[in-house]
Amino acid sequence: MRPDQLTRALVTPPTGAVGEACRAHLRGRLSCELAPLVGRLPHGQRLVVNTADLRRARERPDSLGRQQEPFAWKPVFVRRSLGLAIVDACAGGRFRSPAEAAGPVASEAVAEWDRTGWRTFHWEPWFAGLDRGARALVLSEAVTWATSLWTSFDWAAFEVRPRLGGSDDQWVCPDAGAVTLKGRSELRVPVATTGADGAVPMALASVASGRPSDAWVAELAYPALVAALRPPSRPVPARVAGLWPEAGIHLVVDIDGEVLASAVDRVVATVSAMVEASRLLPQPA
Amino acid sequence: MPALVIDRAQEGPAAERRSRVAGWGGARSVPGPTKVVRRPLRSSHDWHPLAGGALLERLRVTGRPRLQSDPDLQGRLRGSLESGLRQVGDAGHDAPATGSGTGTPPHPLSPAVVVVTKDRLTGVLACEAHHVAGEFGNRPPTPAMACGALVDVLFRQLIAVGSIDDPMADGMAALGVDDRQQDLVSWIAGLPPAEREALRAEVDRQADGLRRHWPALDPAWLPRTQESMRVGLAHGAVELSARVDLAIGRPAEDEASVALVEIKAGARRVEHRADLHFYALVEALRSPAPPFVVATYYTRTGELDVDPVTEELLVGAVRRTVVGTRSLWNLAHGAVPRRTPNSLCGRCTLLSECEPGQARVERSEAAWARGPEDVR
Repeated sequence: MRPDQLTRALVTPPTGAVGEACRAHLRGRLSCELAPLVGRLPHGQRLVVNTADLRRARERPDSLGRQQEPFAWKPVFVRRSLGLAIVDACAGGRFRSPAEAAGPVASEAVAEWDRTGWRTFHWEPWFAGLDRGARALVLSEAVTWATSLWTSFDWAAFEVRPRLGGSDDQWVCPDAGAVTLKGRSELRVPVATTGADGAVPMALASVASGRPSDAWVAELAYPALVAALRPPSRPVPARVAGLWPEAGIHLVVDIDGEVLASAVDRVVATVSAMVEASRLLPQPA
Repeated sequence: MPALVIDRAQEGPAAERRSRVAGWGGARSVPGPTKVVRRPLRSSHDWHPLAGGALLERLRVTGRPRLQSDPDLQGRLRGSLESGLRQVGDAGHDAPATGSGTGTPPHPLSPAVVVVTKDRLTGVLACEAHHVAGEFGNRPPTPAMACGALVDVLFRQLIAVGSIDDPMADGMAALGVDDRQQDLVSWIAGLPPAEREALRAEVDRQADGLRRHWPALDPAWLPRTQESMRVGLAHGAVELSARVDLAIGRPAEDEASVALVEIKAGARRVEHRADLHFYALVEALRSPAPPFVVATYYTRTGELDVDPVTEELLVGAVRRTVVGTRSLWNLAHGAVPRRTPNSLCGRCTLLSECEPGQARVERSEAAWARGPEDVR
């Protein structure tokens, strides 16, 4: 899909709307189906479910049962957040391209942390402590990631400047409090319409590595599901675009009750797989 | 076959040092017959590597019209691959169709997806047994491997920040934050002083060549390094996978607009052209138009091999990819690897137990004894 086509497809008026009754049904289904699963979790354990977990549970369930390594920063962990800041700076007209923006954006982030002590991106102290060659590698990774997003859309065609990044949507299941669903998207932009209640639904775009799986509809619907589970005052996203830059594939799904139900199915299957995997891990004495 | 043009510009290496050349995006190839100038290999002392604007011009102006966005061509390429791999997709595992040994039951650890990379393709087409032997376990580091890894990250640095300070220090710092390179970093750190100094000297020399010859790329040309490309085939049973060292140009919409460049720190080898053609094919399958040019830049010598991308090049890459992918698939599903004597036999770990390989090495040695012109 060309950038202008993808941009139009993302912001075109929605084909339908997800009503409050549907949202209540989704919350109820999740509460009902997750509670018994969570009861099997080892004592005190919590699960955080994101889109990557949905994919792992379906494609590599054995990987769920592995002990996670302690977190350590590396270039691939920085490229998304730095890449989003780079694209935001380009969309704002400060720079012509990601290659031009990368150095200044990273330097500004470090300078701001140095001045205020506040870590907007969390990686600032790590990045500041790197030698020159390592910093260049981090910038290279971010430029490549950002360029794929930057070239996917016709930025001048957006009537409203999209919001890049931002905090994840979260929903804690009331009857299974050990489970938190996290929905993440790279871009949010209002669609070209106003709902009956005056609220403007958003369209989301999500960037993934590799190629889309057969279950791409449910995976794209997942961030919309997490948004739909929030309080009713906030509208359900109208659609989600999926970008798989490595494969050159862009797909769009309009959000309705059916696709949200498919996302619920995936969540339940994923939590089930994660619970079983966690029971196989050695528990602390 | 597309012309392989080996550039040997006459200008001095510092002539266009780090100059910025405008107009990548507006570049158009010159239509009409290709003018290819071939000069004797290294016979002249006045040859200098291309530098600055001349290097970019060589990439930008190929002498061939750029391919247009053509869904029919893309469909034909994909169709040829799919039909060549039909048994792979239909059967789950293939009854060997290319003569790769005899069919045995699939190994219980057979991969669900056979990933085809340029290295695996080249390896399996050279000799299946050599390829299988090289697939298992990590290859022990060598000075050449270390030099290649260091030059790769230094090239990324040059593209990203426009300069290299202390090549060895910068390169080691970059490898140090890549967890896939930890073994190599430890190995380099543990080298005896003399070998480490030799490595440093070679890395310094190649980095100096990069600094002097590669111009600053205008950010508007969207230069990006280590861009990953993937294409699924045979109902997802096969994945073509590539990672290009440098891509320049806005992704294609109506006309081919991207140049792909591979960086090599080692010696120039004929297989490198086939690697480039594989890249061109993968890009042609995932984008509206193929790249307009693929090139290999040799950091050791400053040589630049450039292939304009044509339909014939892509069709040739399809044929080679089908043959190699079928071999990879068959091997992954239990076929007995064939032994094919080739120029790599002398360095193969299986040589001591491989009669065809030993015979090949003996023939080569005898030919060398008669004179280099007898070596085939």
